[in-house]
Amino acid sequence: MPRNNIPTKTAALLLFGLTALAQSSLAQTQPDLSGVWSPSRATGPGAPAPPTPILLKAPYKEPYEARRALERAATARGEQLAAPGSLCSPYGMPTMMQVAVYPMELIQTPKQVTIVAEAFSEVRRIYLGKTQISFDDVSPGYYGHSVGRWEGDTLVVDTIGVKPNVKGYQGMPHSDDMRITERIRRPSAKTLHDQITIEDPKVLEKPVTYTLVYALVPDYEMVEFVCENNREYVDEKGVVRMRLGGSGK
Amino acid sequence: MRLHTASALALGLLLSVMPALAHHSFAMFDSSKTTTLVGTVTDFQWTNPHSYIEMDVPNDSGGVKHWSVEMGSPSILQPGGWKHTTLKTGDKVTVVLNPLKNGDPGGLLVQANLPDGRKLGNGPGRGPAKQ
Repeated sequence: MPRNNIPTKTAALLLFGLTALAQSSLAQTQPDLSGVWSPSRATGPGAPAPPTPILLKAPYKEPYEARRALERAATARGEQLAAPGSLCSPYGMPTMMQVAVYPMELIQTPKQVTIVAEAFSEVRRIYLGKTQISFDDVSPGYYGHSVGRWEGDTLVVDTIGVKPNVKGYQGMPHSDDMRITERIRRPSAKTLHDQITIEDPKVLEKPVTYTLVYALVPDYEMVEFVCENNREYVDEKGVVRMRLGGSGK
Repeated sequence: MRLHTASALALGLLLSVMPALAHHSFAMFDSSKTTTLVGTVTDFQWTNPHSYIEMDVPNDSGGVKHWSVEMGSPSILQPGGWKHTTLKTGDKVTVVLNPLKNGDPGGLLVQANLPDGRKLGNGPGRGPAKQ
């Protein structure tokens, strides 16, 4: 005689229902971040904390401050020193996450979040539910290797393997050991926040944290951005100049 | 002058919210000056990272001087009404620009008066002047 009298079919249905309920409640804690998001600013009570300062260790501090001084002097003269964008190079992580006024498209699937930045058509992939691999196993690149996991309504993304020659936030330097932690969430239907923390004990006295804010752009179709007509060039002094076009005749 | 002040203010606002410049700063252009060109389009380049109007402008000696007018990227321009077909070779246009500081015949578009009468600016925060 069976220990309970619930027919097998009913038990199976009950199990199925409970599983569906569990999946449903899981889905509720994992919002869909998909959409086209445009750089924005938050004000008021929901605004993120201001950026923390960039405190560099020797020998990185002196050249960084010297470069910033040169940039400020160039700006005061009405000139601009060369930057990755002026050479049509990609920005890479983490700078690609907000470039001027250009939007980015976030595509979320159960196993992967893909982010396509409109400016320079940069792409990064965040693998969900995977363990981060070792530094040795990541070929250094512009976007590194990213894995993500959910903490409630927040997607926590770990990125390593960004090349040291990829300029960082505010042009800050970094080493092979840089680790970027992002906490991406959607505080409202039309708002996205990406809190970015950069850890790099070789270079930084303290981690640097700043938050990017985005606004949803409904029904936006991303525009192609292939850098085919770059008129800017860098002169012998490192200053960006504009090359004039011909008469076309 | 009113045009200059308005566009400079708008540009300042735009730059203040830019976390990173897409391609270059506007430092090479003199935002304190505007130059108005009346001429003929020789080429309209709907390209990234910038679009360009190439135009010939008649000068006092009976010849023409060629100018290159830098614009935003298609993504920046589209919301303001620009399309890849907005201008074509031979079109007569009036262009207001911030000239290059080094005196070369080039500049950054502030406003274009099109053959069909429309006045288009250069993306968010940059012209056309309030009518």
